[in-house]
Amino acid sequence: MKTFFKALGNLFKRPVTVKYPFEKTFIPEDYRGVIGFNESLCIWCHRCESACPPGAIVFSQDMEGKQRYYYNRAVCIFCEECIRSCPKEGALYNTHQPAQCAVKEDNINNGWNILFEEALQSRAAYAAEKKRLAAEKAASAKLQAEKAAQVSKE
Amino acid sequence: MGKQYEIPVGAQHISLLEPLHFKFTTENERIVDTAANVFYVHRGIEKACCTKFKFRQVSFVVGRVCGLCSISHTTAYSQVAEKLVKIEVPPRAKYLRMLVIELDRIHSHLLCLSHVAENSGFEALFMKTMQYREAFMELLEAVCGNRVQYDFAIVGGVARDLKPTVVLMIRERMDHFRHQLEELIDIFRNNWTLSLKNKSAGAISRDDALRLNVVGPFARAAGLAIDVRNETEDLLPWKEVGFTIVTGTSGDVYARNLVRLHEIEVSMRIIENVLDGLPESALVTETKAFPDGEAVVRIEAPRGELFYYAKGNKTQVLERLKIKAPTFSNISAMVEGFQGSEYGSAPAIIASYDPCLSCTAR
Repeated sequence: MKTFFKALGNLFKRPVTVKYPFEKTFIPEDYRGVIGFNESLCIWCHRCESACPPGAIVFSQDMEGKQRYYYNRAVCIFCEECIRSCPKEGALYNTHQPAQCAVKEDNINNGWNILFEEALQSRAAYAAEKKRLAAEKAASAKLQAEKAAQVSKE
Repeated sequence: MGKQYEIPVGAQHISLLEPLHFKFTTENERIVDTAANVFYVHRGIEKACCTKFKFRQVSFVVGRVCGLCSISHTTAYSQVAEKLVKIEVPPRAKYLRMLVIELDRIHSHLLCLSHVAENSGFEALFMKTMQYREAFMELLEAVCGNRVQYDFAIVGGVARDLKPTVVLMIRERMDHFRHQLEELIDIFRNNWTLSLKNKSAGAISRDDALRLNVVGPFARAAGLAIDVRNETEDLLPWKEVGFTIVTGTSGDVYARNLVRLHEIEVSMRIIENVLDGLPESALVTETKAFPDGEAVVRIEAPRGELFYYAKGNKTQVLERLKIKAPTFSNISAMVEGFQGSEYGSAPAIIASYDPCLSCTAR
């Protein structure tokens, strides 16, 4: 009898399920979501890159020394380790928004791996170029100093 | 003696949650012999932790070992790494770790109970338990920022603080859940339909449990008082927050259900005590040391004793990390437990073992 009344009561209750894509599910205010980046505050120390467990952040550098930040939301595990390691407050921040799904066009696996390698190579190339220029500069300075010494001797 | 039949179950089967293979030898419905194969999901996480990732990053990698006891793995690893770099965790971080472990235990036990109900053929109870579990998933999301991957414990402390609004939310939901838990205990204890599949099914005696090295609710249901929270006090102060051990007597599916339900009560008490007496301190102890030496940590995951061993060599990358999951200890008893039961109740028995094979095979 008890069960019967319970069953009758259930007829007039609202369903406990949520029609998910049409209705929003519970998301707290401080949800761990996509990482945002503020370029004007960044001091380009690359600490976030070395702290990131899955390797979702990488910096590339062109030959003029201009650096660029790349972030892959599909590789990111939203652990906030980059934000904790960042020495400059506000340069990296959590947007508290869930990430969009990755689609085929994003090419997250191969595309990201290629980009990651290229970014590391671009930084190495810039460092090598800088080293070469510094060596050239040092050599020319040495040459000039020797010339000046010769002139003063004469 | 009748004719014997061999019935394979798994690795893909409608009543199984995980890739697990059993081969039952049955004689007129009764199981007389069982063979198990559990290593279908080897992922090489231990190797990856020792080669690809720095020791601070490993706590996020081991969180992915298991989806249900993610926080137990992260906490255990964080503790073992803290032993290697020789730092002490702030008291607030310890309490917050306990809070999340207990919330996780509640949702994991509710999941197991719901699957026992489903595999016993009680679909409505499955829905009900899952509905109650959803409240705890949302609590965990509010505390940690994500439903499944908590990433809460990091080497040296915890990642986030507890907000006052979240504390209120936890208290509110717990008050609400207390009545729901009473209802669940009533159904699991007194329902006649459920008792047909659960009582005296998959029973294992106390001596067998001791001999076969069983851990977790499986052992406690057989009357064996084994709980890491009862034994260790150095890393997390379990006794301080009111932990008491729960044991059963009969060792069957029914006893396991009740042990899990009463453990949820204990977990709720622990959570309330943690919220009442949360000490004020920093969240993380910072260090620049590298791991050196060897260390061992045991922790009580929802399924039993979780064991971590790590060895460092003064570099960023660990030399060795060994994970022993609770299900691994229980495999031999899982095979033993089927003896003499009816084949029809095998799905319920499998669910009541609460096997977590992605933990076991790593």
